[in-house]
This record gives sequence, C-alpha cells and structure tokens, in this order.
Amino acid sequence: MKVGEFRQGLRAWLAANDLTPDDGPAPEGDHGLDAQVARLARVRRALWAAGWMRYGWPLEVGGLGGPSVLRAVLGEEVASRDLAEPGLWSMVEVLVPTLIDYAPPALAAEMVPRLLGGEEQWCQGFSEPGSGSDLASLSTRAVLDGDAWVVTGQKVWTSLAQYAARCVLLARTGGPGHGGISAFFVDMDAPGITVRPLRTMHGVDEFAEVFFDEVRVPATRLLGAPGDGWRLAMDLLPHERSTCFWHRVAHLYSRLDRLLADGCEPDADALGAVWLDLHTVRCRSAATQQALADGGRLGPETSVDKILLAGAEQRLFDTARDLLPGSVELARDGAWRTEYLYSRAATIYGGTAEIQRNIVARRLLDLGKE
Amino acid sequence: MDAAERELLEEALRKTMTTSAPGSGLDAALADLGWAQMLAEEPDTAVPLVFRLLGETGAQAAVLNDVVLHAAGRPVGATLPLPYTGGTWVEWARDGFPGGGALDPGLPLRPVGPGSAVPLAGGRRALGWWLVGTGRAMLTLAREHVLDRHQFGRPLASFQALRHRLAETYVALEGAEAVLAAAGDDTGSLLAKAAAGRAALTAARHCQQALGGIGFTAEHALHRHVRRALVLDGLLGSTRELTREAGGLLLSEPRAPRLVDL
Repeated sequence: MKVGEFRQGLRAWLAANDLTPDDGPAPEGDHGLDAQVARLARVRRALWAAGWMRYGWPLEVGGLGGPSVLRAVLGEEVASRDLAEPGLWSMVEVLVPTLIDYAPPALAAEMVPRLLGGEEQWCQGFSEPGSGSDLASLSTRAVLDGDAWVVTGQKVWTSLAQYAARCVLLARTGGPGHGGISAFFVDMDAPGITVRPLRTMHGVDEFAEVFFDEVRVPATRLLGAPGDGWRLAMDLLPHERSTCFWHRVAHLYSRLDRLLADGCEPDADALGAVWLDLHTVRCRSAATQQALADGGRLGPETSVDKILLAGAEQRLFDTARDLLPGSVELARDGAWRTEYLYSRAATIYGGTAEIQRNIVARRLLDLGKE
Repeated sequence: MDAAERELLEEALRKTMTTSAPGSGLDAALADLGWAQMLAEEPDTAVPLVFRLLGETGAQAAVLNDVVLHAAGRPVGATLPLPYTGGTWVEWARDGFPGGGALDPGLPLRPVGPGSAVPLAGGRRALGWWLVGTGRAMLTLAREHVLDRHQFGRPLASFQALRHRLAETYVALEGAEAVLAAAGDDTGSLLAKAAAGRAALTAARHCQQALGGIGFTAEHALHRHVRRALVLDGLLGSTRELTREAGGLLLSEPRAPRLVDL
C-alpha cells in the first residue's frame, strides 16, 4: 500500500471511529498512568481489529506487509490526536523488530500479535543500578541449569514493568564486556520477579525497578545465540530512532500548536527558534526513514537525530515556560508542568547527550579514542 | 544526471574553483563549464553543488546574482540590488569592484540604494548551501588541527571538551543540510537559510576555539571562512531576522505548518 493512500484511509477511518475514550482527553498532570496504559491497549486493540496496526509488519507475525514507513504514519496520526503518549506507544516499535529478528519464528508468531493487538504490554530490561551509560558492564547473571537459565540480578528504568506480561532482558552468561551478554524473553509472572515502580520528578511512575531472584527462564526463551545480547541491543536502536522519533516529533508539533492556542506571549524570536528546531529534526528524521526505506542500515548517524530531537524538545518546553508564565509553576491544570519536567530527561534517556556526542566524535568525525 | 556524471561534475567544479582567480576569473570558468545551462535545466542538482563547493573551497563568484535573476525570470549575467540585514541593500559586483573596507575583503559587495522586491527563495537556498560548505571547511580545518597538535603529551582530539564542540558543529551542519535538501517553497527556504546560517555560526564559534591561537592568526585559513560566514549570514536575511520572521508567521497561523511529510 502506498503511503498517501494509507494516510488518507487511516484519517477517514479515525474520523469515523473516534478512539478518544470516555474519560476525556489524556489524563496528564495527575498520576493517571493506569488510565493511560488502559487507553493505549484500547487504541491498539481497535487499530489491530481494523487492520491499521498490521501494516508494515511481516505476514509471519500477523502483519499485512508493506513498508515500515506506514507504521511511522500510523504513529504520527495517533500522536497528533493525543490518542496515546508516544513514549508508551514506542515499546511496540522497539520490541517487535527485536522478536522478529532474534526469537525462534514460532515464538515470534505466537507472541507478537499479543503486543500489537493490545492484549499485552511488554518491557525492556536493560539498565541496572551500576550500569547506565556503561551498559556493557551489566552484572545481572544467567546460569544454565538443565533446560532453563537461572537469572539473578536487578534492573532499573524499566518502563511499564508493572503492567508488562513479558520482558526482553539482557543478562550476563559469559565473561566481562560486550561478548558475555545474552538476551532472553522472560514471562513477568515467573516466580522470583519483583517489580517496584519508581517515583519520578514529573509524577508519572512509568519506570520501575525489577528484581530477579533465581528466576528460571526456559532455554527456548533465549533470543539469538548465547553472547548475542549486545548485538540485539545495538540493532534495536535504529528502530527507536526512525519510526519512534517521527512519532515524538509529531507529538512535539502538537504541543507547539497547543502553546499557540493557549495564548502565549507573541515572542516571534523564541517561537521561530522552536519551530526551526522542530522543522530541522523533522527534516532529518524524514531523511533517515528514506534511507531505511532505500534498504540502508542505520548506524551511528542516528546519534545526530537523537541530539537534534532532545535539543528541540527541551527548547520547546523551556519556551512554553517562558511564554506562558506560571503555567509550569502555579497552574492547577498540570499539563505543562508534567511535560516540562519530563522534557528534562530527554538528554538522559536512550543514551545521554554526552554519550551521543562521544559517538559522533568517534564514529562520524573519526577523532580516535579519548 | 546520474551519480557518476554528478561525481565527474563535482570534481570538475572543485578543480575549477581551486585554480581560477576568485571573482570574474571564476565566473568566466563557470560559464565555460555551462553554468547558465545547468541553472536553467538542472537547478536542483547544480545550485546545491556549486554553492556548497564555493563554501568548501573558499572560492568566490557572482553566481548568486544568476540564481536570483533566474528566479525572477530575468536574463542571467547581470547584477541587481540584494537585500542585506538591517534594511540595507548591496550589489554583488561583477565589474572588478575590489571589495575591501568590509569584514570579508574577498567579497565584492557594494552598498547601493533600495532595489525592487524579487523572489528570494532560490537565493536563500543557494546561500544556505554556501554557508554549509563554509561550515564544513571550518570543521575540516579544526579536525586536522586537533588530530595533529599535542599538548600534555596527548593529541587535542583526545580531550572530550573539544570532541564535543566538534560533534556539536557536525550535528548543526547535518541538520541544516537536511533542511536545505527538503526546502521547496518560500517558508521552507526561509527556514533553510536560517538553519544554515545558524550552523555556520556554530561552526565558526567552535572551530575557532578548537584551533586556539593559530586560528586567530591571519596566516591560518580559518579567519577567511569565519569572515565569509558572518557576511553571507546577513545577505537575503540573517539567521536572527529569518527566525523572527518564521515566528511571526507562526503567530498568524492557527497551527504550526508541517512542511515535510513521509
């Protein structure tokens, strides 16, 4: 299916099928994460049943085929209508390609439709208390015992773990460094798993700590071969930085619209600078998706997209705070407050601003080692 | 034009720009290479290529006149008053006007009285490519310097503070190129020149710092690119003016325009 045809059909369908739920617009600003996650599942179920959620995914996992750019368009239409927060939505874009590439085909065929169809939520167990930017130093261990791996350790910053039925987990099966890491597809209801949501400064408890205490994971749930974990983690980044970034940019444009609609101070310099940043990352992201569609493999150059996106996001919310005085600090309606605070994390999650610049310097400018 | 032809053309243009006398010499050489025909028949290939290379090589020709004249439907090869920042006007002379007296003595910009309004989008895109090329030239100089020079027993390139400045420059230039490549209409071209001007000024700031003392001397090439970036930024609207104009446009719209789509 052609992109234009898909977009037109989807828009017509969304106009006829209002997915805005009864609970009104997205409950931002309070702690309505339960409602947000429930809404996300409802939206996915409806889009799956109508077929829209199946485009851009291969037939083997329940998809209808077609280019991955269709998923970018779907996410943009969803984000533009505030039907789902793009950060929560993005888990699909990150984890489904991982399952397709690394899980045994039968497992992928069984599990992927549950995530796409809104039946389940999944999470991603990567970061640890002692391994943030230096992810390759992670110390959660998996030891083979008969027909199962026994996992012990602790994860942190695991988004939506408290709602998740499955987890794509990185654990150490070999020696130190990248080569000793393997990946697993773990059932979150397995005995020995404890989830503790983290309180964050923006008031939405979407991250959790996950404790693994001698959790038995069937050997059939190894993703790829032993030692493939680091490659899996690196392969997942381009997915996050193509489709998901496009969704996030669409979301940020909707917030720029809201800033104008809320009657902000008419500071043309500041607003022009916000638009210039958003336009720049949108152009860059469109080029990245074109490269992907042309069969290119994405690598370190996506750090450029990441740096542009984080900068645009923080400038947008800094400007909102400047031009809607008090909206972040005093307003009873906490919409701007929540998103302003969340934007502080844009230069931290998914690889910090500093790590991204290290990658640009080393890999793209070829400046050698530090 | 296929990829191989484009590569040959780039090679020929680069050689011409590095060997011809700046100004009228290069104008004549570009005319011999078929500039007028390229501009008429394949502007989307020719303009980005020629102007980016002017920036990268530090060369100079009066071809901006042709881009603006062509867009106005007038014969190329002449000159016309061009708006400069602050409400002033300049002419990009073709008559051997020596420049001088201004920040970039290599550019023959002559102050003139106000001219008539002409379409500026094409000229802004062309200048955007020139500014990005100038930024790339500065980044190349800074990169060579930090790899070659040692202090405290290590190459400067091993210090994170400098690596991050150069990474910042690279990101700004890449972003500006994406905006330029996507620019078509008036607003897209306005934003493209703003993005390119901002990237070139970012490059000037960080590369100057990375080059330290040597970059402040007249014997090093950096200062010529810094001067060029500053002067070209002001032509057909500075980064600051264009950004403000974009903001004004936004305030008159019910919704922020999404200028590119998948």
